[in-house]
Amino acid sequence: MSSEKHVMALFEDDAQAASAIEGLAGYPWKLERVHSPIPSDNILHALKMKKSKVGWSTLAGGIIGFFSGIGLAIYTATEWNLIMSGKPVVALIPFLIVGFEFTILFAVFGNVVGLLLQTNLPEFKSLQNYDEKCSGEHFGLLASCAEGEETRLMAYLQEKGGEARLI
Amino acid sequence: MPGMTYAQVEQTVLETLRPARLKYWAVVALVFLGLLTGAACWAYQIAMGIGVGGHNIPVVWGTYLINFVFWVGIAHSGTLISAILYLFRAGWRTPIARAAETMTVFAVCIAGLFPFIHLGRVWMVYYILPYPNERTLWPNFQSPLVFDMVAISTYLTVSSLFWYTGMLPDLATVRDRATGLRKKIYQIISLGWTGRYEQWRHYSRAYLFFAALATPLVISVHSVVSWDFALGIMPGWHSTIFAPYFVAGAIHSGLAMVLTLMIPLRRIFHYEAFITEDILDNVAKTIILTGLIVGYAYIVEYFLAWYSNNAVEQESFRWRAFGHYSLEFWIMVICNTVVPLLFFFRKVRRSIPWLFTISILINIGMWYERFVIIVGGSAHDFMPNAWGLYSPSFIEYGILMGSFSMFFFLFLLFVKHLPSVSITELKEGVYQGGSHVL
Repeated sequence: MSSEKHVMALFEDDAQAASAIEGLAGYPWKLERVHSPIPSDNILHALKMKKSKVGWSTLAGGIIGFFSGIGLAIYTATEWNLIMSGKPVVALIPFLIVGFEFTILFAVFGNVVGLLLQTNLPEFKSLQNYDEKCSGEHFGLLASCAEGEETRLMAYLQEKGGEARLI
Repeated sequence: MPGMTYAQVEQTVLETLRPARLKYWAVVALVFLGLLTGAACWAYQIAMGIGVGGHNIPVVWGTYLINFVFWVGIAHSGTLISAILYLFRAGWRTPIARAAETMTVFAVCIAGLFPFIHLGRVWMVYYILPYPNERTLWPNFQSPLVFDMVAISTYLTVSSLFWYTGMLPDLATVRDRATGLRKKIYQIISLGWTGRYEQWRHYSRAYLFFAALATPLVISVHSVVSWDFALGIMPGWHSTIFAPYFVAGAIHSGLAMVLTLMIPLRRIFHYEAFITEDILDNVAKTIILTGLIVGYAYIVEYFLAWYSNNAVEQESFRWRAFGHYSLEFWIMVICNTVVPLLFFFRKVRRSIPWLFTISILINIGMWYERFVIIVGGSAHDFMPNAWGLYSPSFIEYGILMGSFSMFFFLFLLFVKHLPSVSITELKEGVYQGGSHVL
C-alpha cells in the first residue's frame, strides 16, 4: 500500500486557483484544503460549497433568548405579586424590551458558538501543513496523491500557474 | 485603494505594529497619569461618600450620568460604521471600521463604569442583578434603569464579540509575519485561523448575521438610555421624541469622535492612502445629516412644549434658553446644529484642520446637550420652591478627565498592538473580482 504525498501550490490569482481546483476533478488526486487571504467567489464556485448553516444556531439562540428574557421578567414579577401604580404585575410591553435585548444577546452567542463549531476553531493542527504566504497575497491549494504521483501533480499545478512544492 | 497591492496594504498596516518610539510611550504615560487621577478621585469618593460630588436635591443626576450618556453615544457610530454601513455596502467605511468598532468597545466600557461611580456605594452594585435572594426581591423589569442595565451589558458583549470576530483573519496575518513570543501570542488569539475555505464560508455568513443583529441593537440601546429620562414625568424629559432624538444625537457625537480619532491616526501612521479625503468627506456629509436631525429634534421639543399648552413644560423650555444654564444651551445649539452646517462647503469638508476643529466642537456640544437635558431638567421641575442649581465639583471634573484619559489610553495601546485598519477588508477592496458575502 502506497503512502500519501501532499503538495502545496501557491497561486497569485484566485482565478488560476479556481481553475486548478476544477481541473483536479479529472485526476485521481484529492483536494485537501484551500487557503486564501480573502474570501473569493471564484474559488467558492469552484469548490461548489453550499451555504453555511451557521444561521440556524443564530436563530436557535435568538428564540431561546427571547423566551428567556420574557420568562425571567415574568417569573421575577410573579415572585413579588403586588400591583404597583395600577400597572399589571405581568406587564408585557416593558417585558418585550427585556425579551428583545435577550434575543439579540443569545442570537449573538448562538452565532459565535455556531461559527466556532462549524469552523472547528480554535484549532492549531492545520498550522502544520500551512503556508504563511496564504494570509498575505497567495491562494494556497493543498492536494494529496499516491506515492509516485507527486511529480505529475506538481507538474499539473505548475501548469495552472501555481508555485508547487512537496510537503 | 487604487493601484495598491495586497503586500502594500499589509505592509502599511503591519508597519504600525512595530515597536513604539519613546515619544509614543511618553504620550501613553501622560494619559495614564490622567487615568490615575480619575481613579484617585473615584477612590476618594468611595472613601468619603457620594457627597463629595456636586449633586444635591433637586439635581441628583449630575456629571456621572452626563458622562454615561455621552460615552454610550460615542459608542454608537462604531456600530453604525461597522454594521449598518456594512449592510448598505458602503465601501468607504472599510478603512475606518476597525478603529470605530474599537472606539465603540472602549466607549461602552467607560460608559458602563459611570453607573458604578454614580452609585456611591459601589459594592452594592449586585443589587441590580437578577439573582434569588432571601427576600425574593428581584430587580423590577418594568423600570427603565433595569432595561438600561440589560441593554448596555448586551451592547458591550455584542460589540466586543463583533470586534474580535472581525479581527480574526487579521490576527492570523500578524501571527504569520511575527516572530518569537509575539507570534505565540497572536497564534493563540487568532485561534489557529488559516483562511481555509470552510472557515471563510462560515465566517462570512456569521459576520453578516453579526451586522444584522447589531443594527437593531444599536438603535434599541440609545432608545433605552433615552427612556431613563422619557419614562419619568419630569418636564423637559417626558417626551416621546426622546428615543429618535437620542439615537441621532449619539450617532452625531460618535461620528465626530471618529473624525477626532481618525485624523491624527492617518497622519501618524501614514494611512493617507487608505483613509482618504473622500472618506473624511463622507463622514462629514453624514454629520450634516445627523446634525440636521438633532437640530430638528431641538425645534420639535420647543414646538411640543408650546403645543402642549402646559405651563410647566413651557417654563422649563423658556428657562433652558434664557435661564441659569442658557450659556450651556447656546453652546449646545451652536456646536451641534450650526457649526456642522459648515460641512455644506466642500472646502471645509476637504480641510483637515476644519474637520478636526469641528469634530471637537461637536463633541463639546454633545456633552453640553446631555448637561442641558439632565441638569436643566431636574434643576427646574414642577414646583418653584424645589428649584435648585448644580455645578460639578473638582472630584467630578477629575473623574471626567479620567474617563477621557482612559479612553485615549486604551486607544493608544490598541493602535500599537492590534491592526487598527482591517487588512482583510482592505484586501477585498483591492480585489476586483469577488464580493465580500459568500
